Amino acid sequence: MNTTEQQPRVKIACENLSKTFIQKGTQRVPVLREVSLEVYDEELLVVLGPGQSGKTTLLRMIAGLETPSEGRVLLDGEVMTGPGPDRGLVFQSYMLFPWKTVLGNVLLGLEMSGVPQEKRREIADHYLNMVGLKGFESYYPHQLSGGMKQRVGIARAFATQPKVMLMDEPFGQLDAQTRFFMEQETERIWLAEKRTMVFVTNNIDEALLLGDRIVTLEGKLPGRVKASYDVDLPRPRDPMDIEFLRLRQEITDAQELTL
Amino acid sequence: MSNSAESVCNEVILRAGERKRITLGRVLRNEYFLNTVSLIAFFGFWHWAAASQVLGSSSALATPFQVVDKLHELFTETLAGLTMWGHILASLKRVLIGFLLAALLGVPMGLLMALNPYVNAVVKPIVDIFKPMPPLAWISVAILWFGIQETPKIFIIVIGSFVPALLNAYNSVLLIEPELYDVVRVMGGSRWDEVRQVCIPASLPAISAGLQIAMSSAWGCVLAAELVSSRSGLGYIIIQGMKVSDPAMVLGGMVVIAAIAWILSQAMDWLDRKLCPWRRDIKGL
Repeated sequence: MNTTEQQPRVKIACENLSKTFIQKGTQRVPVLREVSLEVYDEELLVVLGPGQSGKTTLLRMIAGLETPSEGRVLLDGEVMTGPGPDRGLVFQSYMLFPWKTVLGNVLLGLEMSGVPQEKRREIADHYLNMVGLKGFESYYPHQLSGGMKQRVGIARAFATQPKVMLMDEPFGQLDAQTRFFMEQETERIWLAEKRTMVFVTNNIDEALLLGDRIVTLEGKLPGRVKASYDVDLPRPRDPMDIEFLRLRQEITDAQELTL
Repeated sequence: MSNSAESVCNEVILRAGERKRITLGRVLRNEYFLNTVSLIAFFGFWHWAAASQVLGSSSALATPFQVVDKLHELFTETLAGLTMWGHILASLKRVLIGFLLAALLGVPMGLLMALNPYVNAVVKPIVDIFKPMPPLAWISVAILWFGIQETPKIFIIVIGSFVPALLNAYNSVLLIEPELYDVVRVMGGSRWDEVRQVCIPASLPAISAGLQIAMSSAWGCVLAAELVSSRSGLGYIIIQGMKVSDPAMVLGGMVVIAAIAWILSQAMDWLDRKLCPWRRDIKGL
């Protein structure tokens, strides 16, 4: 949304990121090659690419869970060397602790970051409410549906109030209806508490529904930035809007594989 | 011969809710009826085999009634100064001490091996060497090292139950989904946080399973352990029975061992539910 002359602040800068994995013995698998991109403050950036395009690795490097073979990641101008509570992550396979209740899972980050006891419950309740899971605090993950589990994952990541939210194909395992619902929920949640978000997906409709800006990756390894698209559509997004569909066509045409 | 599409499994489910007329054919095919018939046939066959002395002399096999009589005798009178209750207690004491030692040594060691590659490199080959050795084979070594009091008996029980406890703890950590650690790391957790928040709770179900096996192993070693010059215990009763050619005594001892084994496994089940309250109920196993 560049309606003012003010230059948007860069929140995350990826400078020339490269990553090569070494398989058993000596096989080198280059997953990313010279990826440079910027994420602006309070924007919802979508990284769009088909499977095997290195996008999860890119996100994990921003999260600090993988170290780049080359290049570096900067958050607010500081070089990131490892993971930390300033970057929250929502996982594709939920990764909830099965031995904790819904509340226990959301409280996890708060316990570990030394938030005082009295405030913890308050914060956890706030975010559980925000994702629409009020009343499910004492349920165990195995009693929840996929959509509900992911909402716990989102609440858990938000509870630590990170500067940046990273989401790794969070709705990939859900059916189409739940997925659409969750996309709308994510937009709603993001609008309620604005923060910088990097959202990785392979689904173009999801990308257009959520992104302020979409960065596409090449369809094959090593991953490279292909193009960047500004999405200036009003929110909440309407997937039947003519401009939405035009942009969808433009992006699809630019890819070798249909998205 | 059925031409319908129903499988055996379907038949049980489909017919479960129906109420049918009682006919002879249906009675004969009823599950509970067959259970009862099978048990009666088993005891009947046993009685016949014992009474007709088909296995040789009367000291080869006792009838079920003789076993019951013998058990009654053992429970009310004393044998080597103890009633059956005393003997049960003596064996239980040895097994529980042995089991606790095995658990307290095996579980932390297994966890340590899984978490620290250096400890693993040093300890694993030794565990692999001793893993297949049967507890019974350790008897003479145990007597040599520890004499003939309680210690060698407990030693044998520890030998029998240490390995399952250790191996299950070891494998439990290896089976943990690696991304779970990422959850902790992303929240700024240290390596110790990873162990405390992920390793230990995630490995509890497998550790609990290992403890169930260890307990069953420990109890199974009670006979081997009490071969070391015992004056008390269920193993002692069986050995005495063998010495004086009293099959009722041997079988009585076996029956009591089986009964206690069942009670112990129920206790371990209860422990499992307490340790891992989040687990789904899986019937069977």
